[in-house]
Amino acid sequence: MAKLKRWDFKQINRLHSKLLGLFISFVAIAALPLLVDSPYYVHLLIMVGMNSILAMTFILTLRTGFVSLANAAFWGVGAYALTLLVTRWDLSVWLALPASAVITGIVAFLVGIILVRNAGFAFLMLTALLGMVTVLVFGTFDVFGGYVGIVNIPAPEPIKLPFLPPIEFISKTPYYYLMVLLFIIVVAVLSTFYAAWSGRAWRAIDLSPHLAESLGINLFRYRLLAFVLASAVAGLMGGFYACYFGAVVPSTFDIFKTFYIHIYAILGGIGFAFLGPVIGSFIFTLVPEVLRITKEVEPIFTGLLLILLVMFLPDGLLSLLSLSRRPSHPGENMERIVRWIKASPRPRG
Amino acid sequence: MDLDVAESEILGLIGPNGAGKTTFFNVINGFLPPASGKVLFEGRDITGLKAHKIARLGVSRTFQATTLFMKISVLDNIFTGYHMSYKTSVWERLLRTPSALKEEERLKQEAMEIQKFMGLGPLKDEVAENLSHGHQRILGVCLALATHPKLLLLDEPLTGMNPVEIQTMVGLIKQIRSRGISIILVEHDIKAVMSLCDRIVVLNYGRKIAEGLPEEIRKNKKVVEAYLGKEES
Repeated sequence: MAKLKRWDFKQINRLHSKLLGLFISFVAIAALPLLVDSPYYVHLLIMVGMNSILAMTFILTLRTGFVSLANAAFWGVGAYALTLLVTRWDLSVWLALPASAVITGIVAFLVGIILVRNAGFAFLMLTALLGMVTVLVFGTFDVFGGYVGIVNIPAPEPIKLPFLPPIEFISKTPYYYLMVLLFIIVVAVLSTFYAAWSGRAWRAIDLSPHLAESLGINLFRYRLLAFVLASAVAGLMGGFYACYFGAVVPSTFDIFKTFYIHIYAILGGIGFAFLGPVIGSFIFTLVPEVLRITKEVEPIFTGLLLILLVMFLPDGLLSLLSLSRRPSHPGENMERIVRWIKASPRPRG
Repeated sequence: MDLDVAESEILGLIGPNGAGKTTFFNVINGFLPPASGKVLFEGRDITGLKAHKIARLGVSRTFQATTLFMKISVLDNIFTGYHMSYKTSVWERLLRTPSALKEEERLKQEAMEIQKFMGLGPLKDEVAENLSHGHQRILGVCLALATHPKLLLLDEPLTGMNPVEIQTMVGLIKQIRSRGISIILVEHDIKAVMSLCDRIVVLNYGRKIAEGLPEEIRKNKKVVEAYLGKEES
């Protein structure tokens, strides 16, 4: 992007209108809990945020040609990691949150070294196995609280800011803002990887693994990177879930949750690394609420949705918008944002 | 099967279909292990190394079937070829430090230059799958060049090209050689092989049946037999 000239009004207007757009959406997101009166709806928004991030992690491994069925398992690893750190070893929740991401990443690394070496179908089967084993492990050993799970997980400690009353995590609203913060962090981190050489390597592996290899791209290394990164992010969400919900039960992290995560991603459109998951999880979480679908009827809704999707919209909902074309590489939209943020007026002389 | 290639030499590899030419490339490249024997590159034994490691050592190839990153632009294709050329550290690239960004700019410039060198300049933003066949084959060679190879394996680069495209490609191959890159050329177009290659090796049923200068090969009885079949006397 050319340097912004002080007197180039057209460029300045464009930049200002874009900044304005960003600002407005920021304010809107920040103000949401205030506009929505019922804490139940705040809860739904939090779940939308969490589910969309989980869907993003699914797309990340998918981009390297591997379908993972262990998404919910790593979500669970993070949840249990935080739970044990806080309940057994009295670690502060604020430290346990990033720790849950790191621990899940390490577990993913150790598991991935074995799993990622395999071909796609074997990987699928092995991650399915991993998913089931994880739930089994959580349910069997007493240290994880067995099938009953662990309850009374403390909330994050209140944040003390100067001149302001401490932010206490009692109502759902502070959790909402925490989720927004985590969301921004995750999107920023993932975008950086996508926009850089790692993203190009992933794209190359996705489009033609043979060609990528002959260009010097180490398939195993980049697939492992995607797998570990995706799992660490899922683990972070797990940690959040544990301190938000206050309790963890093994059955939450079963393979059905993984299928739901896949649906959020597919519904939005797997061509879109960030927007797709958000839209997909938004619709899937909120539409049943709006339609007042009860828990008994919900599977019918899901099944119908899936059938319609596969038949009419295999590329997801976003493919309907001819405006939102698939970016030529995953980080492109973020790159654009970063680029024009950087092209701010510079002082002359 | 036993052959060597010297620096800056164009070695032709010909033989009837099924003779094993592409298989030979796959062995050198690292996609296939050899049934027996060794591959030595610059004095180093590279047999059995993984394909990406061999690429890092300076061996690059094109494929018999047009193999490109179809869904992305020409420039993006070539830029992907620069994957190995990064000198900045992983952290610098992730944090997008000025040095990392400068390097990306520099690599993009190099990609544009290779494009122009191969005559694809005006097409730089065109998606690869929209290119004509001839341009796609040329792009395939561009990709292989982006890795700064010392040895380039060209697998039937002239397939499906019209005479004009063939002339372009032949000229380009000569220019590649003048940059000091060794080339092993597999081709069926005998005219091109004769005009381009310094030496020729002929393969049949996985075995070398002749080796020598183009003129010698043209007259070699075994070669003629291999292509036309033994005459019943």
